[in-house]
Amino acid sequence: MKNLTVSSSPHIVQKSKTTRGIMLDVLIALMPAFVMSVLYFGYHVIINAIVCMGSCLGFELLYSLLLKKDFSKQAVRQSSCWDCSCLVTGLILALNLPRVIVVDGWNLNVYRTMPDISGVRPVDYVAFSGDTIFICIIASLVAIVLVKMLFGGIGKNFANPAATARIFVFLAFASMTYTQTTGLGEWLPASTGATWLSSGSKLTNNQTMFFHMFIGNRGASAVGETCMIALLLGYIYLSIRKVIDWRLPLIIVGSAAVMALLFDGLPRGLSGARLVNNMYAHIMSGGLVFGSVFMATDYSTSPNTFWGSALYGFGIALFTMLIRVFGGYPEGMSFAILIMNCTVPLIDKWIVPRPFGYTKKIKVKSGAKPNTPLSADQKGKGGVAV
Amino acid sequence: MNTFPHGIHPPGHKERTAEMPIAYLPEPEIVYIPLLQHVGKEAVPVVGKGDTVKVGQKIGEADGSISAPVFSSVSGEVIGVEKRVTATGHCMHVVIRSDGAFEEITSEPLRNPSSGQILRRIAECGIVGQGGAGFPTAVKLSPKEKIDTFIINGAECEPYLTCDCRVMTEYAKEFLHGARYMACALGLDMFYVAVEDNKTEAARILQDTLLQEKINAEVVLCRTKYPQGAEKQLIYAVTKRKVRVGKLPASVGVIVSNVQTALSVYYAVAEGIRSYRRVLTVSGGGVKSPGNFWVRTGTRVSEILAACGGIGEDAVKMIFGGPMMGFAHSEGDIAVSKTTGGILLLTQEEAFTGEGSSCINCAACARACPMHLMPMYIDGCILSGDEAGAEKYGAMNCIECGSCAYVCPAHRPLVQSIRLAKKKIRARGSKR
Repeated sequence: MKNLTVSSSPHIVQKSKTTRGIMLDVLIALMPAFVMSVLYFGYHVIINAIVCMGSCLGFELLYSLLLKKDFSKQAVRQSSCWDCSCLVTGLILALNLPRVIVVDGWNLNVYRTMPDISGVRPVDYVAFSGDTIFICIIASLVAIVLVKMLFGGIGKNFANPAATARIFVFLAFASMTYTQTTGLGEWLPASTGATWLSSGSKLTNNQTMFFHMFIGNRGASAVGETCMIALLLGYIYLSIRKVIDWRLPLIIVGSAAVMALLFDGLPRGLSGARLVNNMYAHIMSGGLVFGSVFMATDYSTSPNTFWGSALYGFGIALFTMLIRVFGGYPEGMSFAILIMNCTVPLIDKWIVPRPFGYTKKIKVKSGAKPNTPLSADQKGKGGVAV
Repeated sequence: MNTFPHGIHPPGHKERTAEMPIAYLPEPEIVYIPLLQHVGKEAVPVVGKGDTVKVGQKIGEADGSISAPVFSSVSGEVIGVEKRVTATGHCMHVVIRSDGAFEEITSEPLRNPSSGQILRRIAECGIVGQGGAGFPTAVKLSPKEKIDTFIINGAECEPYLTCDCRVMTEYAKEFLHGARYMACALGLDMFYVAVEDNKTEAARILQDTLLQEKINAEVVLCRTKYPQGAEKQLIYAVTKRKVRVGKLPASVGVIVSNVQTALSVYYAVAEGIRSYRRVLTVSGGGVKSPGNFWVRTGTRVSEILAACGGIGEDAVKMIFGGPMMGFAHSEGDIAVSKTTGGILLLTQEEAFTGEGSSCINCAACARACPMHLMPMYIDGCILSGDEAGAEKYGAMNCIECGSCAYVCPAHRPLVQSIRLAKKKIRARGSKR
């Protein structure tokens, strides 16, 4: 007979869902946020995204080739980088960085003519930033090699690569990562210059501010996190495609809202509309929504069960709000994700679903009648019908 | 709608054969009847080379309590007793050259039989569970526990297979009477027939037949979901009782049997015909003329496929049974047994022949598992040699339905890993 494949069952698989397909879905879901960030922050974001995605792909390919010590065409084809997860890491990383980072002493930037008045920041007049490209490459190296590949590649890393790389950049180049205004600020007069969080949460709570926060017309130190509409689109797309569990982002945002109330709103004596506004502002500022949709739902660094995810999501919200309200940094989302990433192995160890029909092992006391059958009204709970 | 938690929705692919009436195939010239068509001990051959046998004549005697006799499916001369490969292993086969006459031996039909008579007849006629496992039906119908519910599993949740659906449609009367005999053997006066809601036509015919024949039974529609026909999941869907981990369905007072088993019981009790044939589905993209056929046990697959237009050029996988739990083979010399529900030839587009990649920890397998296990943990544990870990995550509770491997985006062979885990855990257990 002709050559037929012999293998273990099942013989059919869901071909529509592959690792690469999932990663491409995430890339598609990131597109609205990417487009909006380009609209708000300009062409720098495109350059950053290309550099980050390219170097993430390059580092993963290089790492897998170096590890195998095989540089043939076949080894290139078999490299794990073609599952596109590195592109997701790259794009999330690019959307997590400011559009331009100027490093003192590197001076690889081309500037537009700056107006000759005091108080002008050079960062707002960069035409092309060589510094940012270098930082993007370094951040990609941290994300892919240090955080992902050294731990065994896709599915084995314990920390979110993009979150770790972002934190690395923010700590290593702390003085350089200014909050940056949106490009639309010149057209829309009500645009808020600084973020609501870094201004000490004391900006006026008026309706225009909320509208601009919702459409993303605000200053931010991470370009992708501003536009709520784009993030919502991404969230809906990922939920419909069943790439992420739709409940996890809701748990994070929901518990963050409650904790904003408990930690920030109530202690400051706000009440009524001001209290609610404070809560809205906390949800829409910083990377809370972006992080909960795209970073907290990362497969390898989040728990595998629903209740595990719920605990994890609650933890992220808790740490985010603790850092925001009591901490030294205006924004704590990526720190919170990283802290909770470390607890995931423990959560997954503790929270394991019980098998179908599981019953607690009844400890039989000596002399007692063993295994008393349950009555019929307990049927459905593993009971024996009598 | 009656169903169970978790599970998957593979494409049914039943449309190719769902409307095909059960047909007959050209009679085989030589049959290779396996003596192990059931769970338990292999039957002992009672004929030798040179003997002449008739249709329905006993050629293998049951060996011990969990075993079943085997009957000839043709009349003719025994030309050998030899060891051959079956779909699930290997055993002794009785090779018979047909004389084309099909002279048949039948038992005396029973009129208004008692439960003892039915049980004896089922055992005598070598009836085993024809859903795939092949547990001797007489043993199953005489449990120690008190039984209050009898369910006929007409879910047929495996994609491609339609033979049970056709039997329920075309042999509704015979099938329901057979099921009634089985319920009677259990001392029950009613039973359930569980049917997936993609077979509404069959359900309607069963409903009508129940009224006409005045049989006390209920047709339960279940949601079309895989593995709806898995024993524990079906019991939960119909009665909302959960069979405890490691226990048999009888522990919650339920017995589940299969459609074609009930049909065989009818023929054995009412007409005295022994179990030597069954209906199976031949389907898949690699088959030119698919359909549902009456097949005599011992017919080689190559003959069946030749009668269906041969193996298509594009076929890459030949499967005994359904695509989710069936067995792939490359040889056409294997004979059909009482438990073969289908023969599928799948093309490259339908079947998966590739290799898995790294686990991405997405937990899709855990969300699909009808037993609520963590297949990826078991996979990870057993691949790193941690048998205790695999056991802790419930490897022994796996029903090998294949839902996890079906949904895995990395296409990891999770079921294969769990089978390995089970084997290693058993080996470790017996060493102690």
